[in-house]
Amino acid sequence: MDVALDSLKFIDLTTSSIIFLFIVGFIGGLVSGFIGSGGAFVLTPGMMSLGVPGTVAVASNMCHKFPKALVGAIKRFRYGQVDIKLGLVMAASAGIGVQVGIKIQNMILAAWGQAGSNLYVSLSFVAVLVVVGSYVFYDAMKSRNNEGKDTTPALALKLQKINLWPMIHFKTANVRISLWFTIPVGFATGMLAATIAVGGFIGVPGMIYVMGVGGLVSSASELVIAFVMGLGGTINWAMHGMVDIRLTLIILAGSLLGVQLGAIGTTLVREVMIKIVMGSIMLIVAVSRALATPKYLVQLGLMDIAPEKVAILDKTSFVIMCAALTLGAVIILGSMLKARRAMARQAQEAYGQV
Amino acid sequence: MAHEMTKKQALVRMIGFGIASAAVYGTIFQHANAFTELCSRGGIYAAMPIAAVFLVSYVHGGFASNLWTALGINAKSPAKTVQATQTKRPEVRATVNA
Repeated sequence: MDVALDSLKFIDLTTSSIIFLFIVGFIGGLVSGFIGSGGAFVLTPGMMSLGVPGTVAVASNMCHKFPKALVGAIKRFRYGQVDIKLGLVMAASAGIGVQVGIKIQNMILAAWGQAGSNLYVSLSFVAVLVVVGSYVFYDAMKSRNNEGKDTTPALALKLQKINLWPMIHFKTANVRISLWFTIPVGFATGMLAATIAVGGFIGVPGMIYVMGVGGLVSSASELVIAFVMGLGGTINWAMHGMVDIRLTLIILAGSLLGVQLGAIGTTLVREVMIKIVMGSIMLIVAVSRALATPKYLVQLGLMDIAPEKVAILDKTSFVIMCAALTLGAVIILGSMLKARRAMARQAQEAYGQV
Repeated sequence: MAHEMTKKQALVRMIGFGIASAAVYGTIFQHANAFTELCSRGGIYAAMPIAAVFLVSYVHGGFASNLWTALGINAKSPAKTVQATQTKRPEVRATVNA
């Protein structure tokens, strides 16, 4: 039985597009398994560059995101890194953030059209990633000089001392904090997820610097948030018939391999590596999105640049975005390899002493 | 205590999950257009893509997990802390050496 698909909604799959989606899925999964999020920011524009309509790209990406997050969360739970209670509490407020984020998006879309909406998304990307990414990177470098030892940030220590009812104890994270301080972090995570599709870029640093949760538990618990939000989003998109299951399954084939490798990686390398990878990716993606803004400014009539230059900037932006993800993967795989060599050397030395 | 899987056990499980994963992918992509059309009908049919990704997560996820184990890429187990022995030592009693 051969059924003809709606060509406006579903693309024809070629070998090169299948390979591209599988590889990006694998690298995205690797980064997600390691830092708790990532990959989505390349997959959606990546699919759109293959001719997939925006809504189908977002829906298909989300449909692959939640099972990937589930598999990653189960794997990291086995390593004792996931705080399920923390993930669920954060996911509850993130759900409200997503709804508010969608409302804001719709308001901007109604007022300034698609170009205005795209500009808002790009500017949000640049603002959040530059501010948060710079701090994460600065802190990672500081911790690296400090022999990789993670200390609880001053802000988190202050907030943990405020006994504001209801106080919640997160056992795995070993943190006791008021619910009221978790809500803004979760809310911002949801808002960012609705805006740039990568809530973890604010969720993980928020858990580290505002709540005082360690990098390892933060990145692992972020997978629980991603699962809950991803499942909710997928139900919504699938009810509207926007999921291209073929694309989802191809990406999932790569990302399930990657997410488990990334999760294994967290047990091999120093905790500070999570911050280094996250900070590096965030800063490079910020540059990529900054290069994409002139296109939308031109469309809104706020800037005047030759169309050829806009096209070059657009392509450069996408290449830099792919480079960000690849760099993240290279750092993860490189540090895993280094850690395994060091372990082998230690084992050999210990054997030699016997 | 968690059971540590050997490379051989992982290889056997990898093959099993691999066959299951190939069967699922093969079946779906054999009828790719029909299945995609079914998944994109919306409404109650939303359950189709969700069920499909859960199934793939189990079989392909199982394959992926065992693949890395079979290749010797394992997580580092946390350093075991030496627990102080709980057994009571016999009390020292004064004895008279006759």
